[in-house]
Amino acid sequence: MNLTAPQDLLLVMLGIAVLAPLAAAGWMASGLSSRSPRTGAVVAMSLSLLASLTVAWQWHNGRGVPVECGDRMGGGAFIDIDGVTAVLLPYMALVGLAIVIVAPKRFLDAPATARTLAGVGATLALFSTAHPLVLVALSIVTVLPTWWSVSSTPGGSPTARILVLAMVPALACLTAGTLLMLCDPPWEKDCGMVGATGGWLVAAAVLLRKGIIPVHSWYPALFSAAPMSTALVATMPQVASYLAVRLLIGHADHGQGVAVELMVLSQLALVTAVYGAALALVQRELRGLIGMLAMSQSALVLAGLSGKLPMELSGAFCVWISSGLALTGIGLVAWALESRAGPLSLETHQGRFRDSPMLAAFFLLFGLACIGLPGTLSFVADDLIVSGSLDEQLHAGLLVIAATVLSGIAVMRAWFMIFGGPEAVNGPRHQILPRERLALTVLLATLFGLGINPAPLVRVLDRAAGHLLGVPVQADGHGHAEPPPAPL
Amino acid sequence: MNLLDVTALGQSALELPTTHDAVSLLVVTQLAAPAATLVAIGVPAVLGRHLSERLTTWLVGAGFSIGLLAGLATLCVLSLRGFAPEAVHLGTWFSVGHHEATIDLVADGLSVPYVCFSTGLCALVNAFAGKYLHREPGFTRFFLLLALFGTGMNLMVLAGSIDVLFAGWEFLGISSTLLIGFFQDRTNAAKAAVRAFITYRICDVGLLTAGVMVHRAVGSGDFERLFSGAWPNGHCLVPATTATVISLLLVFAAMGKSAQVPFSNWLPMAMEGPTPSSAIFYGALSIHAGAYVLLRCESLLEAAPMARLLLVVIGVGTAVHAAAVGRVQTDLKSMLAYASMTQAGIIFAEIGLGLRVVALVHIVSHAILRSLQILRSPSALHDRHELEAALGGHPGGGKSWLRDNLPPAAQAWLYRVSLERGFEEMAVMRLIVGPIWRLLQRIATAEQAWTAWLGGEKPALRVGGPPMFGRRMRSKAQSGGEE
Repeated sequence: MNLTAPQDLLLVMLGIAVLAPLAAAGWMASGLSSRSPRTGAVVAMSLSLLASLTVAWQWHNGRGVPVECGDRMGGGAFIDIDGVTAVLLPYMALVGLAIVIVAPKRFLDAPATARTLAGVGATLALFSTAHPLVLVALSIVTVLPTWWSVSSTPGGSPTARILVLAMVPALACLTAGTLLMLCDPPWEKDCGMVGATGGWLVAAAVLLRKGIIPVHSWYPALFSAAPMSTALVATMPQVASYLAVRLLIGHADHGQGVAVELMVLSQLALVTAVYGAALALVQRELRGLIGMLAMSQSALVLAGLSGKLPMELSGAFCVWISSGLALTGIGLVAWALESRAGPLSLETHQGRFRDSPMLAAFFLLFGLACIGLPGTLSFVADDLIVSGSLDEQLHAGLLVIAATVLSGIAVMRAWFMIFGGPEAVNGPRHQILPRERLALTVLLATLFGLGINPAPLVRVLDRAAGHLLGVPVQADGHGHAEPPPAPL
Repeated sequence: MNLLDVTALGQSALELPTTHDAVSLLVVTQLAAPAATLVAIGVPAVLGRHLSERLTTWLVGAGFSIGLLAGLATLCVLSLRGFAPEAVHLGTWFSVGHHEATIDLVADGLSVPYVCFSTGLCALVNAFAGKYLHREPGFTRFFLLLALFGTGMNLMVLAGSIDVLFAGWEFLGISSTLLIGFFQDRTNAAKAAVRAFITYRICDVGLLTAGVMVHRAVGSGDFERLFSGAWPNGHCLVPATTATVISLLLVFAAMGKSAQVPFSNWLPMAMEGPTPSSAIFYGALSIHAGAYVLLRCESLLEAAPMARLLLVVIGVGTAVHAAAVGRVQTDLKSMLAYASMTQAGIIFAEIGLGLRVVALVHIVSHAILRSLQILRSPSALHDRHELEAALGGHPGGGKSWLRDNLPPAAQAWLYRVSLERGFEEMAVMRLIVGPIWRLLQRIATAEQAWTAWLGGEKPALRVGGPPMFGRRMRSKAQSGGEE
């Protein structure tokens, strides 16, 4: 294996990005830490974010050539860095950093922090590989901190049970399906029933892991009962979407296009997107609303991933990033508000504006960034996914529009329910803390920055989408197709 | 046009790119000036550093004034050139494959006069609000939203493509919603804001789908590919069927923003916002946004008789409804809201009849009159007392044709119907919103029971759920006596 100097640096940085949170998690779990868990967690996640950004930058400087390293199996290498990875690594690191900065003090004891960091670290490791067996192993690992956290939360055992009911079959299907696919690769010409069965099992795993109708119950339940950090770390990375990208895209036509299983899933995903957005309207509590919105947005990503056009895939990746950042912001604001004055009901006007005007402003801006306000990344994402869907199937485009409209109504209604109405708390004001302001401003700046100047991100994602679909992409306007993987 | 072509065409041709550049710069200024004030006030606010009231008012006023001056300069340049349309291409925002999101603006006989009118009105309202909202806790928020509205309005008016128009349209909707709910401690304000937003959002489906249809029909969102020629004498470039579908979607979108029946009941509730915003939104600019979009796409309507007929029917229906209901309102702002609705309905009918210039003149004159009336409304009682003092008694009521000619039973019936706002709200809530809401609540309840069963718990069913606009508060003391 001959590595050039920039690629050496890229791999070193990737190692730091993945290992920093894992090492910090181990250190905190061992009980050796005497300092505040927040300090260690923030240092580890900052390091991870910087290293992830360096990976993305190095990859970009290398003309966006996919970098592969280590054993290769079933179309994926042990370390595989392409446009998707280059974007997802900093995204996940930023989400993790924001969570550990904003997390209220009483939710940030050493074990809880260790679980959060372990979840983020495992997800970062998952995002840097395309090797099927490693993907399966890391998928199992990413579920464990979530289950551990939920089952150790007071009153969380019903949710832990629902999680087990969804995750055990999902992981079993994923393991069996991947093994079958490796025995009889569906992308080969002479693929038989074994490979096809494997593909359907992986699709079933994605269905369960992603919370698509009719097996979606764990998704809102997790948001309702688990600590917000656990819910965000478990759902915002959209591990199942990543599994679909690596295991189900590029199979249809001898290594090109989308597997038929994914196309079937996309129809269910479209229904889930509308269903989640519609039920978000009638939730009694803010956490229920965030859960339904997250389910709806996550389903939109899967619907976009089944597209035959790079534009749809690019739109799906954009929704992945934009909804993830925006929902993380909403979740963190909700967590901050809850930590000040308890659960937030949506049945009556709560009158919390005077109490926390800055948190109200952040909630509003994240909400608008989630529902497609022009100037935010979600506007670009919606534009791409709606246009792409309508190019292929009219009903898909209309369902995407319906989901977007309903999500918008749900978010604005929730904002007025929480912050509107006569002042409920007649006590001391709960001003935003500097660390909360810092983390939320950075998330917001990222959403607006990428929304105002989306071209570089869209170009990277378009090239990655073209590469995944086996379609030569001319996103740079100079007629360059996606270059082949660099031999290492 | 390259340099050789220009040289070959001689001196007269050399002037063309210069004029185009000047117009481009002026058009960009019209957009950038209010947008810059948005950033200048918004960034310090997010960072927790609020500017002083005087500086805030001055900055927003300067933004609108610069926009107005740039608009007037553009008007002069265009008038010298016979109002030939000038397309301004600001670049490609992003592109994927064949899909390009371009930022195209247009300066023509419709957009430039309209932007002068809207920016000028915004500047005046800014000056009024600086005094009116003195020491109001949401002072900065108001001006931030006013700047957002101004930016959105200019973006929508100057849009040269349906994508840009949609962006401006969305800014209008958001700023309008937030200003209706400006007084957060009033439950009714929050309810009114949600109701307005729901109406906007439902009708936005029309514009969003129209945008997608335009992309499918002509491969981009540019108006140049949809119609050609100078306003108001453009020619439709797409087949009649396509024009009809797009026109019907645009009419649907316009109905929400312009409060046409059956999407009109949010408008009187929207008067919960501060008076300056009510004046500029529901007396002047926002209420006419739908009409502006229809005027912009008048060439499409020309090729779509069905859509025009629908416009006339909706417009006349709204005008009659609003005129009747407005007469029995017991507060001035509601009365003015229905008066605005009446005029908006007549404008819709005028557009449907093809009277484009008449409709434009009607918009401008109505907007100026109505915003003045709404701005004066807080002091109306004082004015009335002064009038009575000057006359030495009650000024007396005017003659009513209806009162003189309708039989008493019919008058009583009409009064009852008007008092119930034509049963419009009741019909919409009972026949459409209510059943959908109850269905969603039942599904949510079933979902809750299923999740509880999966978790090994006994389902604790709570039949029903939150009403759309929130429950009544538990006590008057808690609600501050609002309900």
